[in-house]
Amino acid sequence: MGALGKPIILMVAMYVFLKFVLPYIPGSAPLPSSLIFLYLILTASGIVIYETLSGESKDAFWGPIQRFLTGENIGGLQALRYGVLILFPLLVGWQTYGSTATSDLPPTESRTIHPAPPGEYTGLVNPVPKTPENIMQGKGFYAAFCSPCHGGNFDGKGPAARGFIPAPANFADPTTIAMLQESYLFWRIKKGGVGLPIEGAPWKSAMPRWELELPDEWIWKIIMGEYDGAHQSPRTWE
Amino acid sequence: MSEVAQLQLISLGIVGFGVLILLFIKATFLRVTGFVAIVLGLFSLMSLAVPQMASLPPAEEKVDITSIKTPTDIAAIGQSVFFSKGQCALCHSIGPSESARCPDLKGIGAKLSQDFLYESLTDPQAFVYQDYRHGGVPKEYPATMPAIDKDPIGLSKNEILAVIAFLQQMSGEPISVKVSDLEIPSQTQPAPVKAAGSALVADAHTP
Amino acid sequence: MSAIQQERETIQPSLRADRSHGGWLASLLLAAAWLALPSIGVAAEGTGAGPTEYRDIPYIGSRNLVWIVAQLHLLLAGFVLGVPIFAWLCEVIAWRGGEKRYDKLAKEFTKLLTSAYATTALFGGILLFLLVAFYPKLMNYLTDVFFPSFLLYCLLFLLETATLYLYWYGWDAMQHGRKKTLHVFLGFLLNFFALFIMIVPNAWATFQSSPVVISEGTAFERAWAATWNPTWWPINIHRLIANVVLGGYICGAYAGVRYLSVKSQEDREHYDWMGYVGNFIGVFGLLALPFAGYWLMREIYQYNQQMGITLMGGFLSWLFIIQAMLIGVLFLGSNYYFWLGITYRIPGSEAKYRKAMLWMLISLLFCLAVWMTPHSLVASIEEAQKMGGAHHPLLGVLGVMSAKMTVSNLMILITFMSFVMYWRAGKQDTAGWAKLGKAVMGAILVLASIAVIVLGVWGYFVPAIVRINYFSTSQVLIVIFVILTITPLTALLLKSAKTTTEMVWGSMPPRAGYSLVLNAVMVILLMTLMGYARSSSRVHWHVYGVMRDTSPYAYSPALGSASLIMAFCTFFFCILVAFIFWVATMGDKYKAAGGTGKGELPHGIPAMAGGAPDENQKG
Repeated sequence: MGALGKPIILMVAMYVFLKFVLPYIPGSAPLPSSLIFLYLILTASGIVIYETLSGESKDAFWGPIQRFLTGENIGGLQALRYGVLILFPLLVGWQTYGSTATSDLPPTESRTIHPAPPGEYTGLVNPVPKTPENIMQGKGFYAAFCSPCHGGNFDGKGPAARGFIPAPANFADPTTIAMLQESYLFWRIKKGGVGLPIEGAPWKSAMPRWELELPDEWIWKIIMGEYDGAHQSPRTWE
Repeated sequence: MSEVAQLQLISLGIVGFGVLILLFIKATFLRVTGFVAIVLGLFSLMSLAVPQMASLPPAEEKVDITSIKTPTDIAAIGQSVFFSKGQCALCHSIGPSESARCPDLKGIGAKLSQDFLYESLTDPQAFVYQDYRHGGVPKEYPATMPAIDKDPIGLSKNEILAVIAFLQQMSGEPISVKVSDLEIPSQTQPAPVKAAGSALVADAHTP
Repeated sequence: MSAIQQERETIQPSLRADRSHGGWLASLLLAAAWLALPSIGVAAEGTGAGPTEYRDIPYIGSRNLVWIVAQLHLLLAGFVLGVPIFAWLCEVIAWRGGEKRYDKLAKEFTKLLTSAYATTALFGGILLFLLVAFYPKLMNYLTDVFFPSFLLYCLLFLLETATLYLYWYGWDAMQHGRKKTLHVFLGFLLNFFALFIMIVPNAWATFQSSPVVISEGTAFERAWAATWNPTWWPINIHRLIANVVLGGYICGAYAGVRYLSVKSQEDREHYDWMGYVGNFIGVFGLLALPFAGYWLMREIYQYNQQMGITLMGGFLSWLFIIQAMLIGVLFLGSNYYFWLGITYRIPGSEAKYRKAMLWMLISLLFCLAVWMTPHSLVASIEEAQKMGGAHHPLLGVLGVMSAKMTVSNLMILITFMSFVMYWRAGKQDTAGWAKLGKAVMGAILVLASIAVIVLGVWGYFVPAIVRINYFSTSQVLIVIFVILTITPLTALLLKSAKTTTEMVWGSMPPRAGYSLVLNAVMVILLMTLMGYARSSSRVHWHVYGVMRDTSPYAYSPALGSASLIMAFCTFFFCILVAFIFWVATMGDKYKAAGGTGKGELPHGIPAMAGGAPDENQKG
């Protein structure tokens, strides 16, 4: 069992690391099971690849497994073999049952964070000149209309943010507004959650439809203020 | 059983089939086939495990000409024509852009009159207009302006007027296109041709 | 609708009637004929005035049928265009280097071409009939736009066919001296025409996703404008490289299957070597493919932000995670094959390289983990709540382009190093500057990896446009620089090296053969997956933004159900290729058996036919 010991220890260690160590690094959070599964699969395939690189290592790795499953005269392990052979199908059955049975849990999230905007918004360019006054004004509008949810620090942690799932976007994160063009933000602010296309599932954003309350010019200024305040710059093609 | 579960069962079946072949059959080609079946089944299972999203076509917008009351309504239709059926935004930008293949249309509605715009759209080569403010050689653009009322874009008169209204509105000009300018389709004509994208009902090409 | 039902009622009794006669083959033929000629009886959509816009067939649906046929045609075309490049390269290597076995290999693959070419044309013809029958409105429009290039395409086909026949049938006759030069030139011409045969229809396909339409001018001017659309050249380059990759890996898979079934040592050596060559060519194309793909994606984004977002952030975003997985398996499989080659073909080198292989494997897996980590994760509500959204606060940053570009560049570097390691294994440097040379190469490699990582991390803190225009391109240039410096340096170093251990061909374990098959399946799956991506990125348009799809099939199916069709296309294509190989090598088998009949020798049975002896007896 010598050559088998290491891989098993490695798999367990990997699982412990992903499940109980990584989440407690400051700034981290528990990993969803889909991600843990993915990383474990990668680890397992790495082990198989490494152990089968040469004839000797393959025999050392595969031999004990084969002996355990098909060999004769394995003594006390015989009972364990039958145990495994019975348990395995049961496990598969349980897994299948678990994934198909009706449950009271809400379905897993499958939200498209950045659905494609309608064509009429893709070509828009911010018509408001980028002057310090306009940016200041934009930040003022931001403070009034946006900061309750998106936070005074542009970090998505405003006083009203708690309770929203998904949480309001964190603009300081380089993977949010920095990935998008200004016209995209304009569309999202103007049309809000209800304006999302089918793939964005409208009910999954509590963003108000600001076109009802704010003139376009204000929205453009808010966008400028947002980028400036979050120390990001919009995606451009020039 | 949901469709995804059914497809998962099929994929599992394919994997199982491959496993059975590998377990019990010795012929090389069949073994390879079984191996391929396992790989393909796993691929399908993986594809079924990610969020399933289909892309549904949006409902086709139909504009009823009698519902247009103000020039702003015309401009709103013009905006959607500009960005969809008219394909203007494919080349033209509104505001400076390096990637644009054609002149910037910002403020065009204030610079040119309605009739001139109409002519530029339907007979682009009627006047060679040089923008002397740029200085030097006139800028070369990679694309040629097509006559917008002919195939393949083939906007109707109403649609072109709507686009002009949009250009004027965008430039901060009063919209000179009036509701009375629009052609109302006569009732004797057959049902309008189903046009691509949002379209005004009155289609000049309707026979 | 009622007409379709009527159709069903007339077809089904005839099927039943056939079955009652026991002629299932006949009913199959009837069904095939019925599928191939849907225009005869199947009713048209819409009964009102005006020309027919769409036609449909029951059960399978017009869209699915066209999908499968188009995908098969495309795969076959990729194969038919990839193999001549591959064969021609081998022929040139043999011609210049004097190694006869490369010439033999080239000939072996050219032999496939005639039947593969015919099959491709057959599927092309079926596709054309189906398109004309199912999508008359669209085809009418495309014909209007592309009429001159249709004629050009026909002409190219004539030229290609003529060249192919000359190239293949003249192989033995033009073996020496100036005639060989002429033959190599014919091979070049073959590839030259093949390139145009590829890029002309590419224009039709790319026009659909990034149309450029002008209304004025002659038919030729309009076709030219439509041809030269923004994604045309990116697709041409991408497909050209991908075809070489496909050709290489399929050659590898063929060799792998043969290797598994042949018995004699001579055959084992030959197919082992062939598998190595196929894998090598596949890998070298693969190294360049991500760059081409990146360029294509960039052009799409620039052409239309909406389409770019649909692909990368919208409803197709999960597809790219699947793509990452497939490419990951491909990289792992290719490296695995190199590593197996080191341990099995070069005895005694395992101990020396095992540690290096372990570290390469770990780095490769680490890169893969980064590449496969999605930006927004699949999570239950509870899990999402704990993470504070669909993004993981720590791992979420791995989900964006900057990280993906970095790891794909690193993976290319690692794969390249695997190859260099394989190349150097079993040889001892004798040159005086060997130590210095190795130090320089090591330094280049380490510095390049660090630079790629630094640029990747830095990419998070600069505007997107700086990252795309400067950082990503710098990363690519660094990797290309590494490949272009280390390859000649190693070649120079090995010129004077003395071989300590000879390569032993034919000693690879069976799993090497299976890994070659796996790589080929991955490439084919990737092509079918990207076919779906290209088609779905147009969403509900036939011609993006110009002609809307108003048929009931305007929707794009979800990835899961699409994956089954992709898997089917892949499987069917593999079977077709196996059949082509089998047919093409049938004569050889007969000759090899000395013309005494194939029943006598167990390995005289075509391996591709499954080596099932009873099949031959039945026939």
